[in-house]
Amino acid sequence: MARQMRRKKQFAFGTPGEANAIDYKNIEMLNEFVTETGKIVPSRITGTSAKHQRQLTTAIKRARYIALVPFCDAHE
Amino acid sequence: MRHYEIVFLVHPDQSSQVPAMIDRYRATIEGASGAIHRLEDWGRRHLAYPIKKLQKAHYVLMNIECDQATLAELESSFRFNDAVLRSMTLVRKTAMTEASVIATETAEQATTYAEKPAAAKEEAAAKETAPATEEAPAKEEVVSEVSDAKSDS
Repeated sequence: MARQMRRKKQFAFGTPGEANAIDYKNIEMLNEFVTETGKIVPSRITGTSAKHQRQLTTAIKRARYIALVPFCDAHE
Repeated sequence: MRHYEIVFLVHPDQSSQVPAMIDRYRATIEGASGAIHRLEDWGRRHLAYPIKKLQKAHYVLMNIECDQATLAELESSFRFNDAVLRSMTLVRKTAMTEASVIATETAEQATTYAEKPAAAKEEAAAKETAPATEEAPAKEEVVSEVSDAKSDS
């Protein structure tokens, strides 16, 4: 069951400096890996490699700190 | 000397002070033989969540190369400046010089906003030149009607 829910197509991450690189400033890209409530989606669902998932989590957490991305949907 | 990437959020009411602040930071960095490799002013952006009950803040991104003492000075100046809501410093391996995603986005928005009003103004100007003579008397008529109504009552 869980296997079927896997996303087949992997997101093509760029190397640092490119437009689709994993970076806290790349909000649109980060939103691909965050639920509607703002949680980080596990790599088991998105099919992201472990290395990229680690980079993503730090990027998302940095973006949250400077308020580019919300922590949750219950703000205000 | 290391490479650092700094983002800081300025109170939206103190937005006008941002250029002066940048100049001051530039003086401290370059005074200590450091360098600013990238400087981006993202302008006033909507915050993803309120900070100090504010919905917007002025973002500034700096990629600098400086020694630890200068960085400490910068960070303490952020801490004791009430206008700075939040700041984040990261260590980078290299000097980043190309424009970031957010900077390009804001630049695009600025150009589109700049183009639209310009085009609208041209259209308006074209319209105004033709029916200006017709519109002017029409307005006068309305005014006279109002004055008539007042005199009646």
